[in-house]
Amino acid sequence: MRWDWIQNNLENIGELLAFHLYLAVVPVVLGLALALPIGFLAVRWPRLYPPMLATSGVLFSIPSLALFIILPGIIGTQILDPINIVIALTIYAGALLVRPVADGLRSVPDHVRQSATAIGYERWRQVLKVELPIALPFVFAGLRFVTVANISMVSVGALIGIGGLGELFTDGFQRNFVTPIVVGMVLSVALALIADSVIVLIQRVLTPWARAGRSS
Amino acid sequence: MIKFENVTKRYPGGTVAVDELNLTVPPGKITVFVGPSGCGKTTSLRLINRSIELTSGRILVDGRDVTSVPAVALRRGIGYVIQHGGLFPHQTVIDNVATVPYLLGWDKKKARARAHELLERVGLPASFAKRYPAQLSGGQQQRVGVARALAADPPIMLMDEPFSAVDPIVRASLQEEFLRLQQELGKTIVLVTHDIDEAIKLGDNVAVFAEGGKLAQLDSPARILANPADEFVEDLVGRDRGYRGLSFVTAHDLPVHPVPTTALGASTADARAAVRDQRWVLALDADRRPLGWLDVSQSDMDTVDTVESAALLSVGATFTGDSSMRRVLDGALASPAGYSVGVDADGAFTGAVSTAEVAQHLASQDRVSVEPL
Repeated sequence: MRWDWIQNNLENIGELLAFHLYLAVVPVVLGLALALPIGFLAVRWPRLYPPMLATSGVLFSIPSLALFIILPGIIGTQILDPINIVIALTIYAGALLVRPVADGLRSVPDHVRQSATAIGYERWRQVLKVELPIALPFVFAGLRFVTVANISMVSVGALIGIGGLGELFTDGFQRNFVTPIVVGMVLSVALALIADSVIVLIQRVLTPWARAGRSS
Repeated sequence: MIKFENVTKRYPGGTVAVDELNLTVPPGKITVFVGPSGCGKTTSLRLINRSIELTSGRILVDGRDVTSVPAVALRRGIGYVIQHGGLFPHQTVIDNVATVPYLLGWDKKKARARAHELLERVGLPASFAKRYPAQLSGGQQQRVGVARALAADPPIMLMDEPFSAVDPIVRASLQEEFLRLQQELGKTIVLVTHDIDEAIKLGDNVAVFAEGGKLAQLDSPARILANPADEFVEDLVGRDRGYRGLSFVTAHDLPVHPVPTTALGASTADARAAVRDQRWVLALDADRRPLGWLDVSQSDMDTVDTVESAALLSVGATFTGDSSMRRVLDGALASPAGYSVGVDADGAFTGAVSTAEVAQHLASQDRVSVEPL
């Protein structure tokens, strides 16, 4: 380990870390924004549920590197544009989140849904204020998984030159220099752990009721 | 008042859930829809607030066709209670109860004050306000469900199997409380159940539904028991309908007679002398309230000088002139002495009646002459 290398490259490492976080988190947010309406539709029209699951399975089985490379050809972006990574990871995140969203919405008990309607909720308000909140524990379980998976997947982007902390790996391997590799590994793991903790914290704040049944 | 006029619900595919239903639900009364599963009783209930839309015919609520009002506004004006309570697991008890006031745009403070008032009304302590539904028992959840339905003080309440999901003891006490509450509130209530006993206990009127969404009979519980319209209704009310029908006959003019009595601390010799050749003597307290039956034929009677409470057997349920004949007969059947014990309003002994005397009295009455609706 060369500590002086770390000191000399602190600024660069910080930038890579921030970029890594950006590349990992933005697709999760966008993926969730896609997964919410799709998951909702799949619950509303149960016939859509199986094909939706199949599609998301197929999407997720495309190797990430292949997707990074094919994508510019399909959507006409520059091969080195970070947007490729964001879009590719958004597709993965969306594909992975559709199922927890749908399962969460399906976990809303029938009597709860029926009584919300019978009491006089408008359709949209019932979804936002009753069904979605009750689905949150499922959604958060999905978010934790997808976020951690994304943080590791961003590194693959380094192979096409955009990979946040992954660039420390390619750099280290090319120069046969171990320090950046170790730094990249430690920071990736730390980032994943911290991101996971933050999500758990948000979940606790948003779903205090989910623990109520157990504490009584 | 709710009026069904030739109401039919047919699903795509041809299944008829409700078939040409004509029915009037009188204001301020409990009307129970009862019948086997698949008979259209729940569908009929849900047609009222348009949770399900009817195919033909019309439903009038206080003279107004339900389809002439926006569904959401209609529903907010009708209380709704469902099996399991239908509470929102992600909201506290107080917010659950205040749901409809919130939807109606009341300010939060007023809505919560109203919700607190209702919690008290349904017998829940204020400390429950901040809890989540998962922290309550089934019976408590059901009370919250009733409080929620009452929150905006709707004149009409729809209740779909409200007491089915709790155990029999809790159910009985919820039913009693429900009747007490209804006596104070006088809501127009439609209650769906598959349990004919519940229908008879709770209903001012009972609408019996048969397979295929047809109305088999609409009548008072007493008349349903006394005069089932057809074989289907007769089967539904069951074999012991004669006995259950006694719930609607009072002991008002039932003749009673004295029995030998004694008091705690009195001498057993005197008690034995009082009964002469009989076996049972009734022990009373200083205010002449019955304490229990003493069997003076017991072999160890000779060794006991005075009447002790430990030697007494339970009197069981006593009756007054307002009690049902069912209670009187049950009291006599359950009593060790074979007598049902009558008391006055203060609980003081008025006289007793035996099983045979109850039967004789009933045989002399024309019990089918219950007024038709």
